[in-house]
Amino acid sequence: MTTQITSARPAAGPRKGARRRPDGYSATNVGRPGFTWALPATVFFALFAIVPLIMVAVLSFMSWNGLGSPEFVGMDNWSRLVDDPVMLKSIWLTLLLTALGVVIQTPLSIVLGVWAAGHQRNRAVLSVIYFVPLLLSATAVSVLWRALLDPNFGIPADAVWLFGDGNLFGEQATAIGVLAFVSTWQFTPFHTLIYQGAARAVPQVLYQAAEIDGAGRYRQFFHITLPQLRTSMITSMILMIVGGLTTFETVLILTQGGPGTDTTISAYYMYQKAFKGFDFGTGSAIALALVIAATIISLIVVRVSGYDKMRGSMEGVS
Amino acid sequence: MKTRARLPRLVACGATLALALSLAACGDGSGGASSDDGKIHVLVYGDASNKVEKRIVDTFNKTSDVKVVLDTIPGADYQQKLQTIISTPQAPDVFFNWGGGSIKPFVKADLLLPLDDMIKKNPDLKSKFLPNVFESAVVDGKSYGIPMRGTQPILLFHNKAVLDKAGVQPPKTWDELLDVVGKLKDEGVTPIALGGGDRWPTQMWFQYLYDRVAGPELFEKAVGGDKSAWESADSKKALSMLEELVDAGAFGKNYDSVKYTNGASPALLASGKAGFELMGSWYYSQQQTDAREFAEKNLGYAAFPTVEGGKGDPANIVGNTNNFYSVLKKTEHPEAVAEFLKLMYSDEFVKAQLDIGNLPTTTNTDEFIETSATPEYSRFQYDLVTDAPSFQLSWDQAYPPSASAPMHQAVQQFFNGQLDADGFIKAMQALPTE
Repeated sequence: MTTQITSARPAAGPRKGARRRPDGYSATNVGRPGFTWALPATVFFALFAIVPLIMVAVLSFMSWNGLGSPEFVGMDNWSRLVDDPVMLKSIWLTLLLTALGVVIQTPLSIVLGVWAAGHQRNRAVLSVIYFVPLLLSATAVSVLWRALLDPNFGIPADAVWLFGDGNLFGEQATAIGVLAFVSTWQFTPFHTLIYQGAARAVPQVLYQAAEIDGAGRYRQFFHITLPQLRTSMITSMILMIVGGLTTFETVLILTQGGPGTDTTISAYYMYQKAFKGFDFGTGSAIALALVIAATIISLIVVRVSGYDKMRGSMEGVS
Repeated sequence: MKTRARLPRLVACGATLALALSLAACGDGSGGASSDDGKIHVLVYGDASNKVEKRIVDTFNKTSDVKVVLDTIPGADYQQKLQTIISTPQAPDVFFNWGGGSIKPFVKADLLLPLDDMIKKNPDLKSKFLPNVFESAVVDGKSYGIPMRGTQPILLFHNKAVLDKAGVQPPKTWDELLDVVGKLKDEGVTPIALGGGDRWPTQMWFQYLYDRVAGPELFEKAVGGDKSAWESADSKKALSMLEELVDAGAFGKNYDSVKYTNGASPALLASGKAGFELMGSWYYSQQQTDAREFAEKNLGYAAFPTVEGGKGDPANIVGNTNNFYSVLKKTEHPEAVAEFLKLMYSDEFVKAQLDIGNLPTTTNTDEFIETSATPEYSRFQYDLVTDAPSFQLSWDQAYPPSASAPMHQAVQQFFNGQLDADGFIKAMQALPTE
């Protein structure tokens, strides 16, 4: 065990001995974080994240239907995926849904978050109401909206002027629209929360200075609030992207990938291959591709945004 | 968008895979299907019917030295979970299934015990069941299942009040059906309720029409690997008739947004917004639960219409022929299992099944129908099943599991016009048959 913690003052005697003799513990050592503390989490992470990930990687080169022993097939699963039109379509659909999520939810949650950071009357009450969708599980939310959007007994039956024959799940455009809407409905509160916290952290002196200079509310928003929210925006967008790439429950319950394959996103396709078609090899390949894609895209966002250099939003303030 | 990072969840899926993988590895050669505890494990689909299974197990345990333990897997994930454990040491000795394609992969993986020796010792295990039902668990000439629970033929249900108001009768022929569709449309109701969002209800229309037009042989050929069956003239004729029905507006315009599983399509019939619904025999008890008053007063049922000039016998039926108990090869108590399976044609079993609305397919079922909870309905089903020259297992059950997703897609796309007849034929030809 290497519990090497650099002590500020010169240690009395060798560290090894210090560990054996309780009276040798220095005050600076006690309660300081060391690797040992991270051990339980590391072991769990390795056991339940790293090891399975490796096994999924191995399985993606095998053919296995869940019965008997897997059979090594080399690149078969991968090359079949490359030629699979459904797989290609699923990638586009995944990217489309992710992009829709970012484009719709970001402005919405910024506006709501900045508003919720203020001191208006009823703000707290309304904020709590906004927050409710997040407290429900994605499954419950999906079941709820599936029932609400039933063409004969749901909202479309009462609002024919808006929904027409109500065939929302029978056409690609509307089915994707419903998926984007339900995600927005559920996850905007979370991102609102991020922006609310960030907006609260903007130093008031900036606004006071701007007011003296004669800037109105809109200029204050675009020239102070928005730039100050930059890092939060990146955090929020990375969460949206990773979340979007791995969307699953909403599709499983709302559309089951239909009509046809029109909403079969990659994560759902993986489930369909592995757990419905018992083709665990192909399923693993899709899963691994998703993990790689999500990692790469997150890295790109972090890089492009300068988040990795820890450029804070406070520059120029202090 | 998604706040809780989904990566861990994906990885968790991986963990399940990995775990199953390592278990499978352990399973090789270690033998003994969890029977080292001197018991037989019986795995069944967890639902309301479990109360009968529990009772049968209690009866068996009263006299047997080797005790039966009943394990239930709840929910619709039964097949998935079964396949994950069946090659592991956790595998049961006896398990519930749908016969046909649902057990074929297990037979291929050499996991199941052919029951022919058992039947030789006790011919009643075969002769006490209706032959056309018993046959659907025969794979490669060997029996792998003993019928349990009941048969589930697909029937054309209707709302009597809606039909009366439109002045029509349940159609006996396809032409009458088209005629009735037009009349119901004039009344402003959806002629036929369809839970297209679930897809398998859509498939039921294909199953019946193919059977009526071409006879059961076409599908048997196709599922046996002869893909030319899908291009035959009969296949094309069945498709054009389906197209005609859809184009006539029989199902309305939004069927793909309606589900059976959340109760929406049954509600269409119960509320009088639709005239007909094609569904398995479980529909009757479903309506009794969901809409009791409607079920008692206005729920009617009939066999699927005949098709003039069709090659299939008009008395043929399609659906889930039955549920079956299959036995694992590595069970250590085959004699006790054989004793247990005998109970599946006992009087006690038949009575208990009838009382919960199931229709067992034993040869003595007849004697108990009059005393059942719904004698008329039970009688109708019983006559239908016993008189049927052929009972076609649902397509998605007859094909291997990997075919069901693309099959459902093709079925849905043909109905909503994304695929034409040629596209549908190609999609069906691309399905794996083994």
